[in-house]
Amino acid sequence: MNTIKELKKSFLIALWFMFLTFPIMVIKVNTVEQTIDWRWNRLAMVGIFSFFASWIWRYLLQRKEMGQKRAEESETPTLTFQQRVLQNPKFTRPALVVICIFAAIFPFYFSMYQVNIMTTALIYVILGLGLNIVVGLAGLLDLGYVAFYAVGAYSYALLNVHFGMGFWACLPIGAGLAMLFGIVLGFPVLRLRGDYLAIVTLGFGEIIRLILENWNEFSFGPSGIANIPRPGFFGIKMSIHQSLIYIYFIMVAMVIFTIFVVRRLQDSRIGRAWIALREDEVACQATGIDKTKTKLSAFALGATWAGMGGVVFAAKTTFINPASFTIWESIMILCIVVLGGMGSIVGVIFGAGILILLPEYLRAFSEYRMLMFAAALVLMMVFRPHGIISAVRRTYQFEGSPEKKASS
Amino acid sequence: MLKLKDIRTFYGNIMALKGVSMDISEGEIITLIGANGAGKSTTLMSICGIVPPRSGEILFMGKPIQHMKPDRIVSLGISQVPEGRRIFPYLTVLENLDMGAFLRNDKENVKRDLEYIFELFPILAERRYQTGGTLSGGEQQMLAISRALMAKPRLLLLDEPSLGLAPLVVKQIFDIITKVNSEQGTTIFLVEQNANLALKVAHRGYVMENGRITLSDNAASLLSNEDVKKAYLGL
Repeated sequence: MNTIKELKKSFLIALWFMFLTFPIMVIKVNTVEQTIDWRWNRLAMVGIFSFFASWIWRYLLQRKEMGQKRAEESETPTLTFQQRVLQNPKFTRPALVVICIFAAIFPFYFSMYQVNIMTTALIYVILGLGLNIVVGLAGLLDLGYVAFYAVGAYSYALLNVHFGMGFWACLPIGAGLAMLFGIVLGFPVLRLRGDYLAIVTLGFGEIIRLILENWNEFSFGPSGIANIPRPGFFGIKMSIHQSLIYIYFIMVAMVIFTIFVVRRLQDSRIGRAWIALREDEVACQATGIDKTKTKLSAFALGATWAGMGGVVFAAKTTFINPASFTIWESIMILCIVVLGGMGSIVGVIFGAGILILLPEYLRAFSEYRMLMFAAALVLMMVFRPHGIISAVRRTYQFEGSPEKKASS
Repeated sequence: MLKLKDIRTFYGNIMALKGVSMDISEGEIITLIGANGAGKSTTLMSICGIVPPRSGEILFMGKPIQHMKPDRIVSLGISQVPEGRRIFPYLTVLENLDMGAFLRNDKENVKRDLEYIFELFPILAERRYQTGGTLSGGEQQMLAISRALMAKPRLLLLDEPSLGLAPLVVKQIFDIITKVNSEQGTTIFLVEQNANLALKVAHRGYVMENGRITLSDNAASLLSNEDVKKAYLGL
C-alpha cells in the first residue's frame, strides 16, 4: 500500500472539493448591510471532511480489491462470510425459530403504529418477491410493476363497491385479474429485451394509472374509493386494532406462502428455464425451451403476487386512489429487489425491511431521505454489486454427491 | 431424413437463402462449406426455426417443420449447437447439461447419457461444478456439443465448432463428432469454415455461394475437386 501517494491523492481531492464548494459554503452575501461574510472556518471543515472521506473510501476500495484477488488466487471456491452463515444449518435453524416467534408475538407487544408499518413492509416483501421472479430470475426489467398492484387493489375495491364482495372472495379474483394483465402486457413485449422492455413496461404502468385517474365512471377518478371493508373473519365484528392485527397475520401467512412457492419455482423446470432465458435467448431456444411460454409465465406469475399484494393493500388502508400507484412505487419495488440482491429471497426480505422500515424510523431525517437513499444505492453498487444478500445458487451444489445432482 | 426443398430465407428485405435444396439421410455426416456470408449459418437457423424460411419446404422424417416453433423442432429430435458456443455462463457445467435435457422426462436415461458424455469429455466431468463462463474456449465448445447431445437428438446441427480454437482442440472435437456419429448413429450436419477438416470427417458435402448450393458431392471427390481446392482449401 503506497500510503504517501494515497494521502497525496486524498489531499488533492480535498483541495478540489474546497474549490468546488467555495462559492456556496464560504461566501455569504448579506443583502441588508451590503457586506460579504467570509466563512473561512467552513472551508476548513469541508477540506478536512472530504480529505478523510476520500481516504476512507480509497481504503475500503483497496481492501475490496485485495479480497477479490485473494479469492481468485485460491484454488477452492471460497464462500463469503454471508454465504457461510446462510448455509450453515446451525445458524439458520435457530434464526428461523427466533424469527417465527418474533413474528407471532410482535403485534401483541408493539403499538398499532408498529404493526401497521410492519404490515406495509410485509406487503412490499410480497411485491419484491413477485418482481424478483420477473427481474431476478427471468431477467426482464419491468418498470411498470405497480400496474398489477393497482389492478389487484382496484379489483377488490370495485368488486366491493358494485357487488359487495368480501376480501376472501376478491383475493383470488384480484390475483387472477393481475395475472391476466400480466399476460396482456407480456404478449406485445415478447420480442423486447433490456432497455426497450423497460420503456414499454414503464408506459404500461402509466397507462393503467392514467386510466384509473381519468375514467371517472369506472374508477371514481382521482378522488379514489373510500370505505373499503377490512377482511372479515367468519363474520366476527372486530375493532380497528384487532383487524389490523388480523391483517398483519394474513400478511405473515402470505409471505410464508410466497417464500414457499418462489423457492419451489426456483428449483423447478420452469425456474431453470427462466434462468436460462436470462442468460442466453438463442441457446435457450436451442435447448428446446418455449420462449413465449417462459416469458409469459414469468410476467403472469410476477403479476399474480402484485395483485394479491394490491388486494391486501386496499383492505389495509380502506381507501385507495391512483396516487398510490405512481411510477415511484415501481421504482421502490425495483430498488428493494436490486438492493436486497437479485434472485435471492432473503435478500429481497432484507431489502424491503431496509427501504420500508428505515424511512419510518428515521422520520427525523425525512428531508434527507432521497439523499440517503441515493447514497445507499451508490455505496452498494460499489461494494456489493450483487446486492446485500447475493443469490447463493452458484454454490449450493457443492454439497452432496455428484450422482445425486446428476439424477435430479 | 431431412429434406430442404427450395427454401428462401430473408433478413428484412435481404434474401439470404435463394432457393436451397438439400437432402440428408440417416446416419450421415454432412458438411456445408462456403465463404463468409454465403448463408451457411442461415441455413442452419432456418432448419431449427429461429429464422424461419419465407418459402419452400423443410421435411423432417417426411413431416413439414418449416412453420414450427424452435422448441417444437427440438422436441422432434433436431438439436443445434449455435455459432459461438452460447453456453449459459452463470450456470455450472452440470446445470448447462441439465438444460440440454430440458424436454426429457426419462430420468434414468438422462443419467446414463450424462455418464456417456463425461466419458466422451472427461474434462467436463472434472469441471462439473464450475460455471460455464470460467471454462476455456475449447471446453465451452465441448460443453455446447454435450448440451445438444443431452437432448438425445436424431439430427445434430453444428455451427462452426472449430471457431477460434487451437488446431489440437479442433482435432479432438472432430474426433468426438465422428465417434458420436458411429456409436450413437446420430446424423450430423456440420457447417464449417475449415473446409479441409470438415470434408475429411464428412461423408458428403455441399458447397454454398451467395445463398445458393453450387456443388454437392461425396466428401472425397469434393476434396479433390479443383474449384473447391482453389476456393476453399487454399491449395
